Amino acid sequence: MTRHSTDSNDPRGPRPLTRRTVLVDGARLSLLLPLLPELALGSAQREDAAGAPVLVVVQLSGGNDGLNTVVPWRQDEYRKQRRLIGLPAQDLHRFDDDFGLHPSLPGLSGLAADGLMALVHGVGTPRPDRSHFRSLEIWHTSEPDKPVGSVGWLGNLADQLARKHPGSLPALAVGGRELVLSMRGAEVLPATLPDDRGFTLSRVSQRLAEHRDFILGHPKHDGAPKSDLEFLRQAARTSYSAAERMQKIVATKSPVVYPDRPLARDLRLVARLIAGGFGTRIFHASLGGFDTHASQASVHAALLSDLDGALTAFQRDLVASGVADQVITLVFSEFGRRVRENGSRGTDHGHGGPVFVLGPQVAPGGHGAHPDLAHPVDGDIPSTTDFRGVYRRLERDWMGLEPFARAEIDAPPFLR
Amino acid sequence: MPKPRIDRATSAHVLRRVGFGAPREAVDAATERGLDATLEELFARRAGHAAPEAVQRDLDAALATQDLVKLQARWMALILDDAAPLVERVTLMWHGHFATSDAKLGRVRLMHRQNQLFREQGLGDFRALLHAVAKDPAMLLWLDGNQNKVGRPNENFAREVMELFALGVNGGYTEGDIKEAARAFSGWSVEGSEYAFHAEEHDRGEKTLFGRGGVFTGEEALERVLAHPACPRWVARRLLTTFCVPDPTAAQCEEWGRVLVEREWRIDATLERLLRSDLFLGPLARRSRIAGPVELVANVALSLRAKVAPIDAMRAAAIMGQVLFMPPSVKGWDGGRTWIHPGTWLARHNHLMELILAGDAFDARRAYGADLDQAHVVERVGATLLPDGLDDTLRAVLEDTAKRAGSPVGAARDATALLLTAPEFHLY
Repeated sequence: MTRHSTDSNDPRGPRPLTRRTVLVDGARLSLLLPLLPELALGSAQREDAAGAPVLVVVQLSGGNDGLNTVVPWRQDEYRKQRRLIGLPAQDLHRFDDDFGLHPSLPGLSGLAADGLMALVHGVGTPRPDRSHFRSLEIWHTSEPDKPVGSVGWLGNLADQLARKHPGSLPALAVGGRELVLSMRGAEVLPATLPDDRGFTLSRVSQRLAEHRDFILGHPKHDGAPKSDLEFLRQAARTSYSAAERMQKIVATKSPVVYPDRPLARDLRLVARLIAGGFGTRIFHASLGGFDTHASQASVHAALLSDLDGALTAFQRDLVASGVADQVITLVFSEFGRRVRENGSRGTDHGHGGPVFVLGPQVAPGGHGAHPDLAHPVDGDIPSTTDFRGVYRRLERDWMGLEPFARAEIDAPPFLR
Repeated sequence: MPKPRIDRATSAHVLRRVGFGAPREAVDAATERGLDATLEELFARRAGHAAPEAVQRDLDAALATQDLVKLQARWMALILDDAAPLVERVTLMWHGHFATSDAKLGRVRLMHRQNQLFREQGLGDFRALLHAVAKDPAMLLWLDGNQNKVGRPNENFAREVMELFALGVNGGYTEGDIKEAARAFSGWSVEGSEYAFHAEEHDRGEKTLFGRGGVFTGEEALERVLAHPACPRWVARRLLTTFCVPDPTAAQCEEWGRVLVEREWRIDATLERLLRSDLFLGPLARRSRIAGPVELVANVALSLRAKVAPIDAMRAAAIMGQVLFMPPSVKGWDGGRTWIHPGTWLARHNHLMELILAGDAFDARRAYGADLDQAHVVERVGATLLPDGLDDTLRAVLEDTAKRAGSPVGAARDATALLLTAPEFHLY
C-alpha cells in the first residue's frame, strides 16, 4: 500500500478513532422528541435554520466494478478470478486491514484515515437484474417488486420537506438535463441545474424587470394557490428570487481548489450552495461511463480518479467552510460486476457492490459483510445488505423523514 | 356580409389547441371563415402531407447515424412547419399516451418507426392503433414483451395495456387479469427490428380474462380489453385532456366514450364532433391548462412568425422538461403544474427573452405587420399573444412599457417580452 502504511505488503490495523465533538442535529433530536418534549421547539427551529441535515447523492452510472474499487486483496479467489485485471496489493491505498482502495483513490483513502468515510460492503437489490435501466429504476424508486413507479426515494423526501416549508427548493439535481427518477416526487419535481453556473437568468432591462415584478405581484396571494394562474405567479416569483440568491452564492470563492472536471464542478456548486445557506436539503449529481465490458483498466482508473478528485475536494471544502457536520454524501452504482473477468479484459454486469458514505457524521470504516467470493451463485456474488436498509438510515436517522419503502429493512449502522 | 360564427378569441383557441398556434392574420382569417371552414381546413391539412426536403434530409441523417438529437429536431421541424398541425398534435398525444423512451432502447430507428405509426394511424381507428402498438418493436422492447415466455411470464406489457393504455388505473380489472393477459402475450418478441411470434414460447393453456375462460391468443386478449366497458371512457379521457379540459368528469368521459364507439372508434370522426362541442368551445376549456414545453415553444414561434431553428426549439423544450422520445416513465409526462418549477420557469424565461431580445429570430414588423405604429402596439401584441383579452393590470403595464420605448419596433419588442413572461401567457 502506498499510503497510510509503512509496509507495502502488510497494512496495519485501522487507525484509532479520534474523539470528535458530539453534534446534536435536528434530525436526531426529532427522533427523541417523544422522550424529550421540551426540546421539540429547539428541534423545529433548527429545521428551519442553516444547519439542517443535507443529503448529497452521487450516482455512478453504468455499474461500477466494486471489486476493483474496494479490493479484497487478501482473498485468494480475487486473484484467481481476475488474473488479468486484478490489482496488485502493493498498488492499493489503505482502507482497513482487509481492503485496499483502487490506486486512483488516494484522496478517499485520506478521508478514510481522517474518519470522514464509511463504506458498506455488498449493497444490492434483493434480486439481481442485469439491465442498467431496470436496476436503476429499482434503486431510484426503492421498489424491487413492481416495475413501474414514477416517484423516487429522494423525491419522497423532497415532498415531505416541501410540505413543511412551502415555496422552498428542497432538492436540486446538478448536471444533465433530464431529472433522474430518484428525484421525482409526487408533488415536487426538483429543478435540474444543467451546469455549474447554477440558475442563470437572461438579462432584461431594469425597466422590464420592474414591470415584470409588478405583473407578478398583482394581485398577490401568499397562501396555497387556488388557480393555475396564481400557481404560476408564485412559481415565477420564487424562481426569480432563487436565481438572484443563487447567482450571488455561485460567485463566492471556494476555499479549496477543485479539479477542472464535470463532477468536481458540479460538487463545487453544491458546496457553495450549502455553505451559502441556499436552503436546499437534497442534492443529486452523477458520473457516467462505468459500463466497463472491455479493456477496463485505463477507463476505470480515469473514472475513479475523477470521482476521487471531486469527492475529496468537496469534503475538504465542506470542512473548510464549516458546514461539513450537516452534510452526508452517499455514492452508489446500480450494480457491481461479475467476480470473474471476461475475455476482453473487462467485466460483465454483476450484482451488489460497496456504497461510500462521507462526512464527519458517519461511523468510519467498513460495515456489513463482504460477499463470499468463493461461493458465487450463477457466477455472481449475492449482495449482503439490502439497499433499502441503507436508504432507511439516511431517510429516517439522518434526514429525520419518513422512509419511502414501507418494509422495515435494516442495514449496518454506518452513522454515528 | 355573413356574421362570423365564432369570435376572434375562439378561433385563436381552435388554432392553438388543434394545431400549435397561428399568426395574427391567420386568426383573423379563421374568424372570418367561421368554425366549420376552419376545422375543415385543419382536417384537410394531413392527406399526403410530405415533409419539406430539408426535414427529410435530416431524417435520413438521423437514421443513418442513429442520432437521437437529429430525430428530435426533425420532429420539431415538422411541428414548426405547420403543414399538418392536427397530425403532429395527435402524434404528440399518442407519444405521451403510449410513452416509450429511447433512454432504455437506444434504438433511434425503432423510435422513429413508432413515431411514424402515431403519425399514420393516430387519427384512425383506436382498435387498430392498439393492436399495432402492441406489436411495435419499440414497445415490445420498452415493456420487456420480448422476455415474456411460457412458464416465465413478464407482466410489464399486460399491466400497462390495462393501467395506462386502454382501461385506466381504476378500470375494473384485477391483478389476476394482468397475469392471465400476460400469458396470452407470451411468445411475442422482436427479431432484429421486427415483431416476431415465437410459437414455442407462447402459452397455449386455458386462461381466464375478465371472468371468461378460454384458450386465447394475445390478439384475442386485446380484443377483450377493447370490449371492456372502461376502454372507451379511458380513450375519451385522453382526448378530453388533450383538447378540452385538464380534469374531465366521469360523466364527460362516459359521454365521449359513447361517441367514440358510435363513430367506429375513429379518432378523427370523434374529434370532428368534439371540436364543435360546448366542452371544447365554451369557457371551461379556454386557457384551462398550463402549456407544455413543446406546445409553448411551437406556439410562440408560430404566433410571432419567429424564425427558430428546430434544433434550438427542441433543446429549449428539453430544458423546460419535455425531451421528445424520452418521456420520464411509461406514464408519460404528468403535465399541469408539474411542468413548472424554478428550473423550468427560468428555462422558459431564458428561451423567450433570448428569442425576443437577442438575435434576429423575432422581427416585430413580420409579427405585427409592416404598418405597425406606436398607437397600436399593445392592441396588436395583445391580439396576437392573448386574444382572450388583457386585464387592466396587464394593459396598463404594457401601455407604459410601449410608451417609454423609442420606436414602434422597440415598443413591440418590449411589450412582447413582457407579455411572454406574464403567467397569463403560460395558460394554454
